[in-house]
Amino acid sequence: MDLKEKIISSYVAFEDGVNINSDIHEIRTEAFQNFEKLGFPSKKLEAWKYTSLNTILKEDYSIFPDKEKSINLADVKQYFIHDIDTYKVIFIDGKYSSFLSETTHDSIDVCLMSSALTKAKYKPVIENYFNKIAKQDNLTSLNTAFSKEGAYIHIPKNTEVEKPIQIINFTTGTEAATMLQPRNLIVVEQNAHVQIIERHQSLTENAVLTNVVTEVYADRHSTVDFYKIQNDHISASLVDNTFIEQQSESVVSVHTFSFGGNITRNNLNFYQKGEHIDSILKGITIIEGKQHVDHHTLVHHIEPNCESHQDYKGIFDERATGVFNGKVIVEKEAQKTNAYQKNNNVLVSDKSTINAKPQLEIFADDVKCSHGCTIGQLDEEALFYMQQRGIGIKEARALLMYAFANTVLESVKIPEVKDRITRLIANKLNVNIGFNI
Amino acid sequence: MSKYTEDDLREELETKEYEYGFYTDIESETFAKGLNEDVVRAISKKKNEPKWMTDWRLEAFRVWSKMEEPEWANVSYKKPEFQEIAYYSAPKQKPKLNNIDEVDPDLLATFEKLGISLEEQKRLANVAVDIVVDSVSVATTFKKTLGEKGIIFMPISEAIQEHPELVKKYLGTVVPTSDNFYAALNSAVFSDGSFCYIPKGVRCPMELSTYFRINEGGTGQFERTLVVADKGSFVSYLEGCTAPSRDENQLHAAVVELIALDDAEIKYSTVQNWYPGNNEGKGGVYNFVTKRGLCETNAKISWTQVETGSAITWKYPSCILKGNNSVGEFYSIAVTNNYQQADTGTKMIHLGKNTKSTIISKGISAGKSQNSYRGLVQINSRAENARNFSQCDSLLMGNKCGAHTFPYIEVKNKTAQVEHEATTSKIGEEQLFYCNQRGIDTEKAIALIVNGFSKEVLNKLPMEFAVEAQKLLEISLEGSVG
Amino acid sequence: MYLKSQANSINNMLKIENLKASVDNKSILKGLNLEVNAGEVHAIMGPNGAGKSTLANIIAGKEEYEVNQGTIELNGEDISELAPEERAHIGVFLSFQYPVEIPGVSVTNFIKTAINENRKAKGLEEMPAKNMLKMIREKSELLEIDRKFLSRSLNEGFSGGEKKRNEIFQMAMLEPKLAILDETDSGLDIDALRIVANGVNKLKSKDNAVIVITHYQRLLDYIVPDFVHVLHDGKIVKTGDASLALELEARGYDWIKEEMIS
Repeated sequence: MDLKEKIISSYVAFEDGVNINSDIHEIRTEAFQNFEKLGFPSKKLEAWKYTSLNTILKEDYSIFPDKEKSINLADVKQYFIHDIDTYKVIFIDGKYSSFLSETTHDSIDVCLMSSALTKAKYKPVIENYFNKIAKQDNLTSLNTAFSKEGAYIHIPKNTEVEKPIQIINFTTGTEAATMLQPRNLIVVEQNAHVQIIERHQSLTENAVLTNVVTEVYADRHSTVDFYKIQNDHISASLVDNTFIEQQSESVVSVHTFSFGGNITRNNLNFYQKGEHIDSILKGITIIEGKQHVDHHTLVHHIEPNCESHQDYKGIFDERATGVFNGKVIVEKEAQKTNAYQKNNNVLVSDKSTINAKPQLEIFADDVKCSHGCTIGQLDEEALFYMQQRGIGIKEARALLMYAFANTVLESVKIPEVKDRITRLIANKLNVNIGFNI
Repeated sequence: MSKYTEDDLREELETKEYEYGFYTDIESETFAKGLNEDVVRAISKKKNEPKWMTDWRLEAFRVWSKMEEPEWANVSYKKPEFQEIAYYSAPKQKPKLNNIDEVDPDLLATFEKLGISLEEQKRLANVAVDIVVDSVSVATTFKKTLGEKGIIFMPISEAIQEHPELVKKYLGTVVPTSDNFYAALNSAVFSDGSFCYIPKGVRCPMELSTYFRINEGGTGQFERTLVVADKGSFVSYLEGCTAPSRDENQLHAAVVELIALDDAEIKYSTVQNWYPGNNEGKGGVYNFVTKRGLCETNAKISWTQVETGSAITWKYPSCILKGNNSVGEFYSIAVTNNYQQADTGTKMIHLGKNTKSTIISKGISAGKSQNSYRGLVQINSRAENARNFSQCDSLLMGNKCGAHTFPYIEVKNKTAQVEHEATTSKIGEEQLFYCNQRGIDTEKAIALIVNGFSKEVLNKLPMEFAVEAQKLLEISLEGSVG
Repeated sequence: MYLKSQANSINNMLKIENLKASVDNKSILKGLNLEVNAGEVHAIMGPNGAGKSTLANIIAGKEEYEVNQGTIELNGEDISELAPEERAHIGVFLSFQYPVEIPGVSVTNFIKTAINENRKAKGLEEMPAKNMLKMIREKSELLEIDRKFLSRSLNEGFSGGEKKRNEIFQMAMLEPKLAILDETDSGLDIDALRIVANGVNKLKSKDNAVIVITHYQRLLDYIVPDFVHVLHDGKIVKTGDASLALELEARGYDWIKEEMIS
């Protein structure tokens, strides 16, 4: 039985655990039909030209990991940003872990999707925002069909959330292969500000396929800073589908740090529904082995006087493959748009590959749009210079790579996140040096 | 007084008629419409072709019959009805001409109207011209001068007769019959085109030129060009195209193959102003062209194109950089106006070591047109030290058109250095005011700015063409203001 | 308060009367009067935001400025309805504070086009290439411009000094009747300032006039004005001779405001 078939035949079992008479379930069922029709994406689709899911779709995934596993905080503490106080919404094998979490309903809601989807008091928000901007494509539909659990964050207007919110999905590997469909909804009202850190982490070498959908609504003059840390085991694959709708004068930034995993696909979509919006998309990818990271971004400029800034850096070693597919659409009403896109890559090994498709579709004439894409190597002269001054070649390389990636780190606003990423980079590059000179 | 604004310009562009839209009444012989194996055989027979050539065409036809018309380009149009096209149309005339005076005087008058008087060209421009009207080459000038150097420049139909060994050796080696839908169609039905061979170490002393013109209504033009530059040789080749204005869409599906052997260089320049359709988007040429060059060791191929015409353009002059140290270049200006749609760009396939490619693409969109750049830079794993630089700039005039960039970059070698840049801009109010302040009116100012925008490409054209190209840019975008 | 700049003027080259102008409905000039005669150099000084650059752009005919009231006459002809290029054709030249870049268009090509368009407007033939080259040679020498500079794209990547020198070079080529130098001194080092001023001085004659718009007195050490006007809040509030500029330099602008109040 192939995976699609297995998923389809599991849907009845899934229905056992949810209220099938709810409006939500109608949305699920429609999405289910859509997935049934579309199936998994193949390389024949232009959007998946450079990323094949074939190898990971062969696994025999358990679709409902049912045993509730507990884990010791000590064992997983390293995956938290633990040196600052944060709200935490933690899941183990797709189930909420109250033990590891720290949620709140005190003026803001940082809690569970399962509550939000079922309790009456959340109904107005869910009706307004759930599954409204998520694209109805194959994998998003799959997630919607099985949407039941995830993080629910609602920040009322004029609220400055005083500490960041961490969302972590752990997989314990009790099953040989686990498939997860986390569903997050983040609603940030007028003039509110929130910082979110998201991570997916498997704790064993067993295969994991996470197909996560996150919808973010940023109302007028709100600010959302989103950090995605992807440093998973080589057996864990991730398809991250994030959809962000922005209203006037909002600023939303998403930083994606991809340092590990098997196949990682980031579908990051921004829809600008007002004026004077700023959308910031940044990423650092450092991978090796046979890892594959695909950044697939879309910024849709619909209204005038908005900006978008994309900056993606990639370093690829051994047989790793990087993909950058960045699309900017400027509608004809979106005059005075400033859209910038930058994608710079370094291939470290003979066997590594980068495929880039930076794409502009412009229908307005009074705009400034540019994209730049480079693929190159580290500067040999600089390396030699450093070596001559006594710096080891490994360290010299690491320094240059850090410098290369640094423009992305500059805009990280939480110092502890920045420190963590810096350490992860040092770790990745196998050096023991501080970069923050 | 009323000020000449960009809006006025836009309006004028929309009402601007096609300057080359006239029809020459030459008696011509046209096949009945439709395509099947018999038509392919008949074309081959008409041209008195050897069996290998007939078989080659038939094979291509069979491949084509199984193919589907591609849909991936960013253009939308009513698909040609392939059974409604006549696949052969030749002006009736004596089969062979040795002297230009033997050419039908009406035809010569046509060329005069086009501003390419053969006589003038012969005397002044030092350009050897092969003219393809509809499907047949009608005159090749300068044959003798070229013959002394061993250069072969003749209609490909003649080359099949006179130099079968060369044609057989190279035809279809760069663009195989099965390459794509239109290339397969062309391979099956091409009726003429140009063949050019430059012997070892010879520098072709003059620009070689082909002029294409679709004259007959309801015909397709499928010419085939094959240029072979033997080791250490050099040739500069020019191609110009026009078509009369007609309401129905005319199909043009050409194939151009370039082969640059070791140390050879081919410079291929095109100025294309096929009829773009009227200002409501009716009529115009469908231009579906496959152009590709193969570079052996140390060879260089450089494509330069100025595209102002055609209703639909689908064209990606490409270079396969097979040999070490080979160089590929692509310089392009594509202007679209009214309802024109262009999806054009290039592919640079780096296979050899130290290969280098440069892509400079300038797109100018006006009216309700859509202008897309689509390009592929592929650095294969054995292509050590490959270099590519790409720059795609778009200039938008007005708010009803679109500019799109679809660059594909695929790199499998760590020593590669690839740089891609793209910008989109419009003509700034500040620039116009600055020019106005110096006494330059808005229309002239736009011409000046567009010219500046296109400069890097215009500079790559041979002198004779650069002037024509500049004029074409002005015609396509400006018209005269009273 | 209205101070007449020039007594007994019959044939003013430029005559501006009660000019009121706005941009985006914001009133900038509020009843400005100015008369400039052939052979004169006028300096217009004033604090930031007084409307100096607005005045320059309005004389040149920039569209985004709306003239709400008043007249602008050049040699007796009302020019306020003329297009910018038509004003240029009758001899108005504006040296821009921030000259715009035009990629791919060389300085030579640009000036050639400008000269021929001006000639066309006057019903003259295009200037023969030989004469054009000679003129370019002479004028570039006057402004100590390196020939290589002339083949570069207009203002693209030019330093501040190069841009301003290029403006004056164009002025030399076009031989305007009325030259308005808008903050030509800003961004210039002392050598460049000297070269530019020297150029302007050599171009001065009894048949043309120069308006120097500046914030500082510095340029006026080199281009000595016959009249100095102080522009404040959209009006010319004080007029004097060259010594007024020195006084402004020494005392600033506040005393003028106080004087106005009293």
